[in-house]
Amino acid sequence: MNDTVLRVGVAGPVGSGKTALIEALVPMLVRAGRSPAVVTNDIYTQEDAIHVRRTLAGVLDPERVVGVETGACPHTAVRDDPTMNLAAGAELLERFPDVDTLFFESGGDNLTLTFSPVLVDMFMFVLDTAEGEKMPRKRGPGITTSHLLVINKVDLAPYVRTDLSVMEGDAHRVRNGLPVILTDCLTGQGVDDVLAFIESRRTALVA
Amino acid sequence: MSTPPPVGPSPPVSTPPPLDPLLVSLQLTDSAFPSGLYTLSQGLEGFAQEGAVGPEGLGELLADLLRHGIGPSDSTALALAHEAACRADWAVVTEVDLRLRAAKLSRESRASAVRTGRQVLDLACEVFPSEAVRAYAEALARGEAPGNLAVVSGVVQAGLGVPRRQAVAADLFACCAAFAGAALRLGLTDHRRAQVLLRRAAPVLESVVDEALRRELADLGGCIPTTDALAGRHERAEARLFAN
Repeated sequence: MNDTVLRVGVAGPVGSGKTALIEALVPMLVRAGRSPAVVTNDIYTQEDAIHVRRTLAGVLDPERVVGVETGACPHTAVRDDPTMNLAAGAELLERFPDVDTLFFESGGDNLTLTFSPVLVDMFMFVLDTAEGEKMPRKRGPGITTSHLLVINKVDLAPYVRTDLSVMEGDAHRVRNGLPVILTDCLTGQGVDDVLAFIESRRTALVA
Repeated sequence: MSTPPPVGPSPPVSTPPPLDPLLVSLQLTDSAFPSGLYTLSQGLEGFAQEGAVGPEGLGELLADLLRHGIGPSDSTALALAHEAACRADWAVVTEVDLRLRAAKLSRESRASAVRTGRQVLDLACEVFPSEAVRAYAEALARGEAPGNLAVVSGVVQAGLGVPRRQAVAADLFACCAAFAGAALRLGLTDHRRAQVLLRRAAPVLESVVDEALRRELADLGGCIPTTDALAGRHERAEARLFAN
């Protein structure tokens, strides 16, 4: 793949807000003059790919969003054997040589998910407050080793009896200094910080 | 007192054939090898979605797919590509590759074969480097050859001295293992019966391999109209686990 492209993995449990985060980031990237594209790994349907295309209509060419089938193994598709994701990414870059930011959204998985370093330059793990305050304490390589941990749906915390300060404190503790950002992807709260983090990685990795 | 053994010339000791070609086949077709095969059901999901196959019919369906689909198309292409690669005839390898693509009727099967093939070839440049792999990769880079997985497998194995029959058998076994794995994930079988299914496919696999070795380029191409029709529906299905 082209070394001038920043490839960003987005992992996390089903429903935590991976798609919403990408949908919030893409318009900001476009406004900043970037050229993004998205590969989604739907577990069973094309729901995520369709959702991204619909939400980003007018912002991102629908042809820049492709779905990949994962043979019921979403973790395998981005870690053990990323063949089909690599192929989808290569085809996207061949069709759209101007792409400089390529997202790979995982199919929604458990806390152990990590991305193959051959597939992505960095990956974010998205949790949400409605999954429960205890989630960071459960650790798992996704939570502890991702380049960025995002805790999404901060607006829901009071309604699901999640003490946000505990959740955030635990997240920092189990990650040994790796960054944690709190977001509400639907209003955009915290997404600026995620974008700034991505750009800082781009500067360090892609140059 | 025992009598000493008679002194005489020792019987000739034959050197066993090297294991390396076998190890190449084992690694390349291992289910853990990153070839993307786990995302392919070899058409099984299309049958399952239509209710056209149940647990009892899996063995028969697999045998039909091998005899009339994969054997005449992919296995035959592999055998022909292997033969041509051994004599460094890249024009024929490319012709086989193009013919195989033309023989795949459904878009899913065409796309899957090329997506997996190109990635495996890219990986082979690092894992299984040979003059054959290098030459074929150049043909792909020039846009001359499409890069079907079966042809890639034939070239990789030819490049490292894997006998033709073994190369075809190993690749066909990988397809069978992918089919059994897909059946398991589709809930059509369990982990024990999946292995029985695989073992019972052995005699079919053996005859399909030998038929593939005898075919000529003009005979390349399988024909299972039901599979092609179901692949068309699968391509448009609202939900699916597998890429084909």
